[in-house]
Parts: sequence; structure tokens; C-alpha cells
Amino acid sequence: MADRNLEDAVAGLEAGPASPAAEEPQSGDSADAASHPSVAALRATFGDAVLHHAIMAGDEHVVRLKLDRVVEILTWLKDDPAQRYDLLADLTAVDWGGGRPLDLVYQLWSIPHRRALRVKASVSNADPLADTVSGLWKTADWLEREVWDMYGIRFRGHPDMRRILMPEGYAEGHPLRKDFPLRGRFSRAEQTRRALSIPVEEHYSERELSVIDEVHEHHPGREQGGGAG
Amino acid sequence: MGVSLPTVPTGEASFLTTRLDVVVNWARQNSMWPMPFGTACCAIEMMATAATKYDLARFGMERMSFSPRQADLLICAGRVAYKMAPVLRRIWDQMPQPKWSISMGACASSGGVFDVYSMVQGIDTIIPVDVYVPGCPPRPEGLIYGILMIHEKVKGESLANADLREEDPSRVGLPNLAAGVIDELARPYGNSTTQNRVSGLVDTAALSRPSDRKP
Repeated sequence: MADRNLEDAVAGLEAGPASPAAEEPQSGDSADAASHPSVAALRATFGDAVLHHAIMAGDEHVVRLKLDRVVEILTWLKDDPAQRYDLLADLTAVDWGGGRPLDLVYQLWSIPHRRALRVKASVSNADPLADTVSGLWKTADWLEREVWDMYGIRFRGHPDMRRILMPEGYAEGHPLRKDFPLRGRFSRAEQTRRALSIPVEEHYSERELSVIDEVHEHHPGREQGGGAG
Repeated sequence: MGVSLPTVPTGEASFLTTRLDVVVNWARQNSMWPMPFGTACCAIEMMATAATKYDLARFGMERMSFSPRQADLLICAGRVAYKMAPVLRRIWDQMPQPKWSISMGACASSGGVFDVYSMVQGIDTIIPVDVYVPGCPPRPEGLIYGILMIHEKVKGESLANADLREEDPSRVGLPNLAAGVIDELARPYGNSTTQNRVSGLVDTAALSRPSDRKP
């Protein structure tokens, strides 16, 4: 299984941008929808928006959705009383290489029903754009910033679309894309020069600093009490 | 006050200044306040060095100075990301003279295994380094040996050497080395992933574009 994935990936790197007809690899065994109650309900409610369903790594149910209906379906998954996926455990992406579409991955967990579900959607490699889910789960705010930083996927409607891991003015691209060179695009001297010219004080946004003010307002003790250790 | 000091031309050592050197260096060496810049696992070993078994207090170093303005010795323990580089440089610039620095461990000294887009390839590209302590991470004995080497260096200093501790204000916040030198240092030597994956010299199953490999 692992060997096959490796071969697929190497072949993808060699092949270059795929034609629209050639879909990205559908790994995992396609599974019976009845084995996961949410998948059966998804199929019944949204029909053709559910493209594919597979079981990976033993019991991990993966559902592939149409990109333009992801927010609508995730809203339903979160709010429907029989689903209640109230925890977004992770939001990340996968670059399969060779200019093939990126995968956007939502890892959901339902606390009341103790059920996990992984939702995937394909995003265009050339112009990666998706809708934000930060209105559904607050945690998606930073996770989507991370995906933007590392993969270059922009999120429509995101309140604060900035880099989160790399420095603000980072100009070399998005490091986890397969076409990104391991050592970056600039020379080491240029990288050092740019790093040292980062304005350290300007790193935090007004909003983040105002959050600190709010903490001080609600816990006034912290202002005087918290000396250096 | 009736005491007349012998006049000595500046820049020359005399009996008085050499005796004074011994006293000053003795004082500096035995009350060196470290500024711990711990970013990774090396910092754990640094903490072990400061704790009871290895006991940095023997060297007058038990007072870890978390403010650079009261520190004499910067111990950079661990890898430094480019995003952290301006912070390291700022802390070094904020430390008053006389000051020394130790680059602790493989990552701080050379980038170590992190020969990647996000990592400083040796902190000597950012700040001047007095002693490099090798290891991944170095044991406390290694760090103590490095500190003793700093002591030796302190002993060799003379107050008569006026420009030894002079800093150029125009260099504040700038790289420590010239651009050409940094590029030269970053060339792929032994630890490079490029060497293994792309060169084709080593048979590996690692993911790479076969077309990038040398024939």
C-alpha cells in the first residue's frame, strides 16, 4: 500500500499538470455508505454533491465533496441534531505534485455522538480558492491561515488572511507546495538579509494586541502581579 | 589626593594595567551572567547544566539573566528559524560590552540537519560567536567545557587594548558576515538533503524528481 502511494506520487511529479479528465488518486477502498451513519445521511440529503466515500487506515471514513458545496454541507454536519460535528480537529491540505489539484482536508469530530469524519475537497492547483469555514468553527481562522501560508490556498470571506508561520513579508512562496525547493528560492545571504530586516515590533496586528488589552481589563491583577520570573 | 599614577601612553601595557587586567578578568570570569537563548532540546541540557548535579553556580553563573541588558554571555542553545533571527540579533545588540557568546549544539553552529528554507545556517551569520560547542545536543560537560574556554578567552583580554570591546553602531541589526561568505558557508557539504536525493549518487527511495538527478 505504502509502495503504491510512493509510486503514484513519483509518477505524479514526473507527469506534470494533469488533464482535467485525469482525477487525483482515489486511495482507500470504496466503502459501504451504511457502515457510517453520517455518510448514509449525507448521501440521502445531498446526493450528487458527495463524490466519493472510502475507508482508510482501518476505520477512518473519508468523504469527498464538491468544493462549491463544502460550506453548506459542513454547516449541516455541524448543526443537524443527528450529526453534531461540533469539533474541527484539523483543517489542512495535501499537494499531490505534478500540478494536480490540491486536497483540502477537514477532520471532524462529534463530541455528543463520539464519531469522526474526514471531509475532502479538490482545489484547483493554478488558482486555489475555497470558502472559509471560520464562521462555523472559530479554530478554522488560524488553521486556514496556516493552509494559506503553507499551500497558498486563499479562503473567501476569511476575516484575517495573513501568514501565520512564515514571516509577514515572506516572498518565496508557499513552502509545502511540491514545486517549492527545499531550501527556498533565494540565496542564504538574501534570506538572512530579509530575516534581519523584519520589523519585530510590527509583528502583531492591532486586533491581537487589543485582545491582550481585553485580558488586562478582565483580569486586572495580571498587569501588576506578573513580573519576570 | 596626593597619589600620582604613572602616566602611560594609551594602548600600551604597563605594570599597573597588567595587574589591573588580572583583577578585572578574574572578576568578569567568576561572575559571568548568562543570557539563555534556548530554542530547542539543547536548552534542556543547558537547564541540566544549571541544575544541582552540574551546578553552574560553581562558576558564578547561577543567575540566569533573562534580560539581555544585565547579561555577559549569550548561550544560544538550539536551532534558530529565520523568523527568530531578528530577535537573536536584537538581544545581542542589547547586551552591553563586555559580552561573549556560545553557540551550543549542531543546529546553532551550522543549521545541523535543518538544511531547509526556514532555518538559519549557523548563528555566526547573525551574531559573532566566541565558542562553538559541538553535539546534538552536547552533554552538560560539553557546555561546561565551552564555558571554561570562554574563561580562558576572558583571561587573555587586556584593558590596554582599547578597541577590543568597541562596537560599530552602523552594524546594529545587520548580518554578521558578508553576503558572499554566507552563501559560501551554506554550500551543500555533508549534511545536505540535496546531496542524497537529487544527486543520484546515493541510492535512495526518497521522494524526488528523477529528472533532477545527475546522469
